[in-house]
Amino acid sequence: MALRVPAITIISLIALVGPATPAPSGDRAAPMDMSGAWSRLTFGFEPPARGPGPIGRYSNQPNAGGNFNNPNLKPDAAAIVKARSEMLRRGEDYPNPSLNCYPMASPYIFRVQEMAVIQKKDEVIFLFMQDHQVRRVKLNAQHPAKVTPSWNGDSIGHYEGDTLVVDTVGYKLGPFPLADQFGSPFSDALHVVERYRMVDYEVAKALQERNVRNQGAVATEQAAFVDENYKGKGLQIEFTVEDPNVFNTPWSASVTWRRAGGWVENVCAENTNEYYNNGSTKVPQADKPDF
Amino acid sequence: MRVGPRTFILGAAVGFVSTAALIWRGPGAEAAAPIPDLSGHWARPYIGFEPPLSGPGPIVNRSRVQGQSNINQFVGDYSSPILRPQAAEIVKKHGELELKGLVAPNPSNQCLPMSPPYILQRQEIQLLQQKNQITILYAEDQQVRRVRLNAKHPARVIPSWYGDSVGRFEGDTLVIDTIGIKVGPYSMVDSYGTPHSEALHLVERYRLIDYFDAEAAAKMSERENRRLLADNSLGNGVAIDADYRGKALQVRFTVEDENVFTVPWSATSTYWHASGDWVERVCAENTVEYYAGLSSAVPRAEKPDF
Repeated sequence: MALRVPAITIISLIALVGPATPAPSGDRAAPMDMSGAWSRLTFGFEPPARGPGPIGRYSNQPNAGGNFNNPNLKPDAAAIVKARSEMLRRGEDYPNPSLNCYPMASPYIFRVQEMAVIQKKDEVIFLFMQDHQVRRVKLNAQHPAKVTPSWNGDSIGHYEGDTLVVDTVGYKLGPFPLADQFGSPFSDALHVVERYRMVDYEVAKALQERNVRNQGAVATEQAAFVDENYKGKGLQIEFTVEDPNVFNTPWSASVTWRRAGGWVENVCAENTNEYYNNGSTKVPQADKPDF
Repeated sequence: MRVGPRTFILGAAVGFVSTAALIWRGPGAEAAAPIPDLSGHWARPYIGFEPPLSGPGPIVNRSRVQGQSNINQFVGDYSSPILRPQAAEIVKKHGELELKGLVAPNPSNQCLPMSPPYILQRQEIQLLQQKNQITILYAEDQQVRRVRLNAKHPARVIPSWYGDSVGRFEGDTLVIDTIGIKVGPYSMVDSYGTPHSEALHLVERYRLIDYFDAEAAAKMSERENRRLLADNSLGNGVAIDADYRGKALQVRFTVEDENVFTVPWSATSTYWHASGDWVERVCAENTVEYYAGLSSAVPRAEKPDF
């Protein structure tokens, strides 16, 4: 026999049982949900639909380096890119955040294959697989009048409909400022605007397949784990890079992510991949403890 | 007392509803208790663990300054009965290096991940609480720990620096269980070089405590640990909101490793409400520059990782 319970009793029951478990602050609703872990299979950026893009490669040869002849480069920047390209063609590598275990500024950091997003009411946090890097974006805030330069810069964001817009200034230069994988430097005038939005599964999949064809896929042991069974939306970041000390005009590019199928630790100082010609990895060594 | 018909009906209704509620909530009623919100930015002014209220505690520093642990010289008490002989020997050698004025390698000065419980000695954390996951960020070198809620350890855990962590709420307490912590080149559970093996098992219990309980914990801690100041010579950027009288976050944890310890031991770390913006602290950069004019040797690879 079905038990018939008056509606008022149901209300009383709910009152006695108490409200549903409150959502912790990390789960507060955002206009678009892009939370979770995302993965991509290539290092490079996707060119923009129109307008100036990244400087690109010098040639199609392996280790060709960046195209220092790109007219978008200011002369000083072109000389830096040329020197870096020549090092690569000699079989050497130039110092960069990846080799030297330094934080990667955006947009260079988008070369990392996995990123996790945590959306909070006042903040969006991005976690990157390589060397457990963290970026923080303050929502609906202003840049301070005087920004203290930092590795990740001062990032503020807001939602415009279905798009998260992130504006970053105040990047710290460090010993090897690098804006992209082509060797472009950046100055303290670097200004990056990122626009995050969800794209259809078919769009994300097609872009990743095109990127793999054009750029070559990274090896799976480097933690590019795309969940091929996931048929939901992908995440795309369109970004614009502005630095009048380095580039003649702003340029744009994008990166597209699909749902990650796993997450691994990738520790720079550990250097698990051991690409070093049997050389032992030099890890930092302090004469005294930091603390 | 005479019970009138209206009172009886009301009482019966309340009784029915209460009984029905108990039936409806069923055996999982405890699980429906409100989940505490532990999220936020927390800081502690100590290096080292706070001793437990009772039972075996962590290794302590033989090197003392005014009765407290000397944070410039980590000489662990290798005679502690909790240490197995081989582990005691490692702690002894670590201390001997320090007594010679050298600095023994540890995860902090080697820019390697600080596996738990070593990382629980550090000063600043941010706890991000989501429905199915707890993420703990540590200011030092952007370290991140992830805890899957209401999940099980895999049948075969792949060792990793932070181990495989699963968690659940027990009333007002977040319980985190971690196994599968990788044994790396400088794996240690504390600043004294106390090693761990692949059998390390850590259980952490996080809960919010009242301000006065936190102050009591601070007094307990200062029997062992020196209080750091944001503007002292260490300059490590710890900022605690001195005016905040709300809750503090405390983790009581138990360490078990039968290959290293004769018994499980426990300790506590208490975190206060932090003030100011999160400060980037990058190990390879070594902003503190304690190196007497020497430049930091940062990792350098001959070829890129990717």
